[in-house]
Amino acid sequence: MNILIVEDESRIAKRIERMTRDILGDALQSLTHINTLSGALSFIENNSLDLMLLDLNLNGDSGFDLLTTAVSESFHTIIISAYKDQAITAFEYGVLDFVPKPFNRDRIEKALHKIIRKEKIHTNDLKFLAVKKRRRIQLIPIEDVLYIKGAGAYTELFLIDGKKELHDKSLEKLEQLLAFSFERIHKSYLAKMSEVSEIIVESGSKYIAELKNGERIPIGRTKYKDIKAKWF
Amino acid sequence: MKLRTLLYFLCICFTLLTVSCSQKPSFYNKYTSVFKIGDQQEWATKEFKDQNWKPILRYVPDGEVFWSRTKIDIFEDSDSLRPYGIYLHVYGEYEVFWDGVLIGENGNPGQEAILGKVGKMWTTHNIPIDLTKKGTHVLAIRSSLYYFPDHIRIATLNIDHYDDLLANRLIETSYMHLFAGAFLIASIYFFFLFLSNKKEYATLIFSISCFLFFALILTEFIKAYVAIHYSMHVIRLQIIGVLMVSISFLIPFYFSIQFPFPKRKLLFIIYSGLLVYIFQARHIIELTNNDMALSMWVFSVCIVVFGVYKKRKGALLVLLTLILSVLIAAVTPFNKSLFAGFSLILLGMFYLVSLKIKEERLAYENSLVQSTRLRLELLKKNIQPHFLMNTLTSLIDWIEESPKKGVLFIEALAKEFDLFNQIENQTLIPISQEIALCRSHLKIMEYRKEINYSWQDEGIDLEEKVPPGILHTLLENGITHGLPQEDNSIQFKLIFESNIDYKCYTFLTFANVLEEKKNNKGDGTGLKYVKARLTESYQDQWDFTSEPTAHGWKNSIKIYF
Repeated sequence: MNILIVEDESRIAKRIERMTRDILGDALQSLTHINTLSGALSFIENNSLDLMLLDLNLNGDSGFDLLTTAVSESFHTIIISAYKDQAITAFEYGVLDFVPKPFNRDRIEKALHKIIRKEKIHTNDLKFLAVKKRRRIQLIPIEDVLYIKGAGAYTELFLIDGKKELHDKSLEKLEQLLAFSFERIHKSYLAKMSEVSEIIVESGSKYIAELKNGERIPIGRTKYKDIKAKWF
Repeated sequence: MKLRTLLYFLCICFTLLTVSCSQKPSFYNKYTSVFKIGDQQEWATKEFKDQNWKPILRYVPDGEVFWSRTKIDIFEDSDSLRPYGIYLHVYGEYEVFWDGVLIGENGNPGQEAILGKVGKMWTTHNIPIDLTKKGTHVLAIRSSLYYFPDHIRIATLNIDHYDDLLANRLIETSYMHLFAGAFLIASIYFFFLFLSNKKEYATLIFSISCFLFFALILTEFIKAYVAIHYSMHVIRLQIIGVLMVSISFLIPFYFSIQFPFPKRKLLFIIYSGLLVYIFQARHIIELTNNDMALSMWVFSVCIVVFGVYKKRKGALLVLLTLILSVLIAAVTPFNKSLFAGFSLILLGMFYLVSLKIKEERLAYENSLVQSTRLRLELLKKNIQPHFLMNTLTSLIDWIEESPKKGVLFIEALAKEFDLFNQIENQTLIPISQEIALCRSHLKIMEYRKEINYSWQDEGIDLEEKVPPGILHTLLENGITHGLPQEDNSIQFKLIFESNIDYKCYTFLTFANVLEEKKNNKGDGTGLKYVKARLTESYQDQWDFTSEPTAHGWKNSIKIYF
C-alpha cells in the first residue's frame, strides 16, 4: 500500500508514520511525508497512491482545495484534523474517515481498517462526488446520480439529466462511500435504490432492475436474493 | 424618534403661548404727546390749549424744566374697587398730573443738580377714581433731564387697573425667572459635562450660551423689582448689548461646530466684524439688538442650510426651529419674540447636544465591545483547536516516547498559560513580558515542530510598553508560514529604535517563506488583531507594515509621539 501523509507538525507526522507502519506491517509499500500544500499537490500528480492522510490546516491555510483534488482521485482520503467541526464538510466531500486530534493508536487503527477490510460507511453525509475536468474539479451532487457503472479502474456516473461522467475511483471504493443509498446489484453496477421502481425477472433467470426513468440495469444472479430481502 | 416628537410639541406650545400673549383689547386710546420748555402750573390743567406745542423736543440742557401733555380717551368708567393706574417708562425726574391733579412724583424736576439723584426709571401711579370717568383726559408731566438732555421721550405709557399693573409685571417676571432658571441649570449641567471631557468644546459653548441667555433674561426683567435711576439705565442697556453680541456670536459658532463648512475662520472674522459694527453704531438700543438678532439668524440659517445640504444629522430639525423663530418674531413685539426665538434656537441646540451624546454613547459602547473582543481573541489563542489539539497530540506523543521530555514540554506549556493569564485583561504590557511570552511560545513550538527556533533582540528599552500579544501574533505567523532553513532552524529578531518623532519595532523572521504566502496580500485575522490593538492604544498614531524579504519576512510597527 502506498500512503501519503500531509501534515505540517513534524512531531505529529512522525507519530502518524510510526503508527501506520506498526499497523500495516508488510502491507505497506511506501510512506511519504509532505508538509506543504503545493508539495502534496505535485506529489499526487506524479505518484500513484492508495491512501492519503491529510491535515486540513496546513501552514495557516485551509486544506479544502487539496481535499477537493484528493477526493477526485482514485485513492481514499482520511482526514486527521484539530477542527472537529470540519468533519461534516469533509464527509460531504467524500472522505473515508475523519480522525480528530489528539488521537491514539486505536483510532488510527480503526481508520486504517476501513481501507484494509473495505468497510462501508453508513452515514449519509456524502453530498458530492468530485469529478476531474480539464483544469478544474466539478462537484456532482449525489442526488443527481442514478447509477454507477464500473469501467476498469474507473467508473462511469450516470446522471438524472442523461449525462455521463467519468470518476477516478473504482467501483469498490465508491461502494464503500455510498453504501447508505447505493447497492452493488451487479459486479459492474452500483444503483441508487430509491430510483429502482421494480425488479423484473426474465426467462433464463435474468434479473433486471428497472429505474423510474425506464432504464434497465442487470442484477447479478448471486445478488438477487439479498437485494430482494433487503429492499423489497 | 420620541425626542423629536417632544421637540415638535414644545415648538408648537411655544408658538401658541407667544402669539396669545401678544394681543390684548384696550379700553383707552392715547394721542401723540406734545412738549414745551418752561414751567407754568396751568399747563397741568385739562382745559389748557396746547395747539402750538411740539410733538418732538430734541434738547433741554442744564436740567431746565419742560412739560409734556398727552390727551387720553377712556372708554370705560373704572370700577370703584379697581381704580386705574398709569405705568411710565420715561427718562428724567418728573411730577405726574392727571387732569390738573398731581397724582405722582418721581424725583425733583428742575433741582436735580442740587438735590441729587432721586427717583426711578419705571414708575406706577394710581389715578383717583373720580378722575377716570368715560371721556377725554389729559396726562401732563413736568420733568427735567439733567443727565441725558437729549433723551426727551415717553418710552412707555400704559393704563390699566392699578393692581394689575403691579401684579402682572411680577407674574411675568416670575415666569421669565423660572425660564431663566432652566437655562441656568442647563448651563451648569453642560459645564460639568465639559469638565468631564475637556476636548468637547461644543459642550462648553453650549453651556456659555445658556448662561448668557440666563443673564440676558435677568437683566431684561430686573426692572420689575430693582429701582434704577435714569442716569444709570444706560449701564443696563450696555450689559444687554454685550450679552446680545456674545450670544449672536456663539450661536452660529456652535452651529458651525455641529455643521462644519469650508473657510470657517474667515467667515467668522467677517461676521464678528459685522456684529461689532452694529454694536458700536449709535442707533436706538432696541434697533441695535434687532440688527444683531437678525444677523445672527441669517448667519445661523446659512450654516444650518449648508448642514442640511450636506445631510448632517439633526440639521433639518434645527432649520425648522430657526424658521419657526422668525415666524414668531414676525407676529410678536420685539422683546417677546427675542426670548421666544432664542429659546427655540436653544432648543434646537439642545437637540443637537442630545444627538451628540447619543453618538458618543454608541461609540463608547462600540469601543467596549471592541476591547472585549480583542481580549477574547487573546484568550482564544491558547484554546483554539489548532494550537490546543496539535499541542496535546504532540504532548501525548512525547509522553509515550520520552516521558522526561514530555514533562519539560508540559512545563513550557504551563509557563505560556501563566504568562497569558497575567496579560489577558490589560491593554498595554511591558515589552519584557511580551518577549517572555514569545520565548515560551518558541519552546512549545520546538517540541511540536522539531525545528530549532532562536530569538534575538536588540536595543530593547525594558521600560517600554506594547499592546499584549502583538509580537506573539507576528511570531505565530512567522512559525506558521515559515519553513526551516537548510540547517533546520528559524531565527526571529526584534529590533527597537526610537527618535523624537516615533518609536519603531522591527520584527524579522529568517526562514524560507512559502511561495504562495509571498503573493498573498490579504489581511489575515492575525494582522487584523495587531492593527486593532494598535488602534485601541494609539488611535491613528501608528503605522504597520508586513512584507516578505530575501531572508524571510519583515514586520515593522511605528508608533508616533
